[in-house]
Amino acid sequence: MPEHQKGKGKGVSRRTFFKTTGVAAGAAALGGFHFVRKSQAASGPLKLGCPLPLTGPYGTEALDQQAGAALAVAEVNKNGGVLGRKVELVVRDTKLKADEAARRAKELIESVKVELMTGCLSAANQLAVNEQCKLVGMPYMSISQSNEITERRDASVYTYHEALDPHTTTQAVGKWAAQKFGKRWYFLTSDYAFGWQLTDGFRRVGKMFGVQDVGETKHPLGTADFSSYFPRIMAAKPDVLIIDNFGKDQLNTIKQATSFGLKKKIQLLCPVLLASARLGAGTAAYEGVVGGTSFYWEQNHPTAKKFVAAFQKANGRPPIDYAGYAYSGVLELLNGVNRAGKLDALALATAIENRNYDNYKGKQWWRPCDHQSQQDVFILRSKTPKKKYDVFEIIDTVSGANEALLRTCVELGHKPGVPNRTGLKK
Amino acid sequence: MAELQSQAAHAATTPAVMSPWDKVVNLVSRYPVAFMTLFFILFPFVVPYQALATQIIIWGLFALGYNVCLGYTGMLSFGHAAYFGVGSYTLGIVLIRLWENVWFGLACATFMGGITALVLGYLCIKRRGIYFALLTLAFAQLLYFVAFQWVNLTGGDNGLRNIPAVPLALPGFSVDIHDPLRFYFFVLFFVVLALLLLQRILQSPFGRVLEAVRENDPRARSCGYETSNVRWLAFIVSGAISGLAGGLYALYLHFVGIESLYWVTSGQILMITLLGGMGSFIGPFIGAGVFLFLEDVLSAITVNWMIFLGTVFILCVLFFPDGIWGTFVKLIGRKSALKR
Repeated sequence: MPEHQKGKGKGVSRRTFFKTTGVAAGAAALGGFHFVRKSQAASGPLKLGCPLPLTGPYGTEALDQQAGAALAVAEVNKNGGVLGRKVELVVRDTKLKADEAARRAKELIESVKVELMTGCLSAANQLAVNEQCKLVGMPYMSISQSNEITERRDASVYTYHEALDPHTTTQAVGKWAAQKFGKRWYFLTSDYAFGWQLTDGFRRVGKMFGVQDVGETKHPLGTADFSSYFPRIMAAKPDVLIIDNFGKDQLNTIKQATSFGLKKKIQLLCPVLLASARLGAGTAAYEGVVGGTSFYWEQNHPTAKKFVAAFQKANGRPPIDYAGYAYSGVLELLNGVNRAGKLDALALATAIENRNYDNYKGKQWWRPCDHQSQQDVFILRSKTPKKKYDVFEIIDTVSGANEALLRTCVELGHKPGVPNRTGLKK
Repeated sequence: MAELQSQAAHAATTPAVMSPWDKVVNLVSRYPVAFMTLFFILFPFVVPYQALATQIIIWGLFALGYNVCLGYTGMLSFGHAAYFGVGSYTLGIVLIRLWENVWFGLACATFMGGITALVLGYLCIKRRGIYFALLTLAFAQLLYFVAFQWVNLTGGDNGLRNIPAVPLALPGFSVDIHDPLRFYFFVLFFVVLALLLLQRILQSPFGRVLEAVRENDPRARSCGYETSNVRWLAFIVSGAISGLAGGLYALYLHFVGIESLYWVTSGQILMITLLGGMGSFIGPFIGAGVFLFLEDVLSAITVNWMIFLGTVFILCVLFFPDGIWGTFVKLIGRKSALKR
């Protein structure tokens, strides 16, 4: 607006200033009388918030989680709901961005008025959601891997972690691999907390077995072309290439490593072997690839069979990867409230802590000090499918009993054996 | 600013009898800040939930700061995430490590936003156009990777957590601002403050020079203005307001995600500003409102929400280059009265 010249109304008049600030201050004071309508909707359905990264590189796994959570909610509703109320699952997209996850959790808490929270995939997302839940004292069941969420700074009386964590995964897979494969290990690490923690975990367990660390390549999350990393990896002459990434990254790595001929000399090992990636890449690409998992649908176990059958009926396909976490986690949360007899965070914690349970994969146990679920880890090998989704075989089970795969309570900053009461709101 | 001048000129030509509509338009254009304040006071009661209203005015404030660069001075910065993110992290780190005082934290966030803009501006401002845009982008990404790697200070990829929920200390008493509505008005206080400050700046001779620089740099220079310094100063003001917005955002989420420094944030603020309309007070807030509201509503319905938002943006750029507010102003035929 170049044509404007100096006019009369120069500056903010004092009157305007007082008017505006006065009104603002008055409104702010008025805001003080505003009262929150909390715990008022006790008669309507109980809403369970569930932020998930539906868009982005982990979208496939997130959809699987959503289906698992929905199945658990449906089962609980069929059995009379929670404290006589129907449960409603409210899903939001976090786009795999932590601040979006925080915003979504805030929206779910303040606007949708959810009373329990679950969800998230990726450490950063779940920590952001956990932060929101801690602030208002809402129980949160985390259903994806993170090391931090059970550590003193982030864990609280409201926080539960149904999933494995990178430490447990690497202890189990690393121990197994060190005994079966060669001792020269090379790491391909997704360059963020999850990848770093996997690599650190493998190094730690490797040391105990005299494994030689022959190199590491870090790649950004969401890399499309991995082939440029391979010459360096080949030159290091490792026996095992450990692929510390997730989702589409894993798919692309293995696909390209196969066409590059990497597998002729090197064993590929995925700490978290994903059926979704395996299905996307095909049989040939994954041939001979070995890795760990929390659950595989063909597991021969009564609760697993029951879960798979119900899931198959609802979704027309078996659960892959992370559906189990969501299913079991949501069941624990909802049934926990029923056992507690009231919707109260402390009563819920008491109802869950030290509990032995078997929802879908075998024995699990809630450790009181950090609310981490103790469980077994399975070792899988890719195979030629006889039917669709029949992609892996379970070649071994690493027992998680007696906290063998967990970090100690002391290591995490908790008092051993004492239930976690951090951050409890009066 | 210019509303007042152009409005004064406009008033002279207004017929003696004004329709009620004209009167409203006239009043709005005369007191844009007062009008906006009034609107924002009612705003949280018309949106689906109060946290969305808070989010909209925080991003509106950020866009307002960005607009000092883009709309008023004509500098296309592609790295404003830097000042927003620095503001966010500063508030979080100050509250965690130095002093649990919201005022002090926000002052530090504003200050650090300004300082970062001062340093980066010094390095970028001499270049124009695409070089300027790319330099700002490069420096912002540099800060992103510093924050990403400096895990002890920033929490790295997992974000900065455990920001204490401290009450607002006022002389004599303290207020708990964690009620959504109370926090909204707390943010609004800063938005109004920034609006008044900006109005004052733009009405000053310096504000006129900013526009001169935008319209015709060589001519402004030949009039005796050191245009590089003018740009630099505008850049610093812009950075400080962005830093304040970042600080408020961190306070709002009690969390700082690494994304706040990422280039996507820079792109988003550019999109918001273009959507709402450059070079006006109201435009950025409208842009933030439309963008966040659409995102909020659409992403709850479909995972393909980006297609719709993208389409709206493309349509806007193609057919309404003045943005929503600019087009609206044109439509009601009050161009000279309301624009800017």
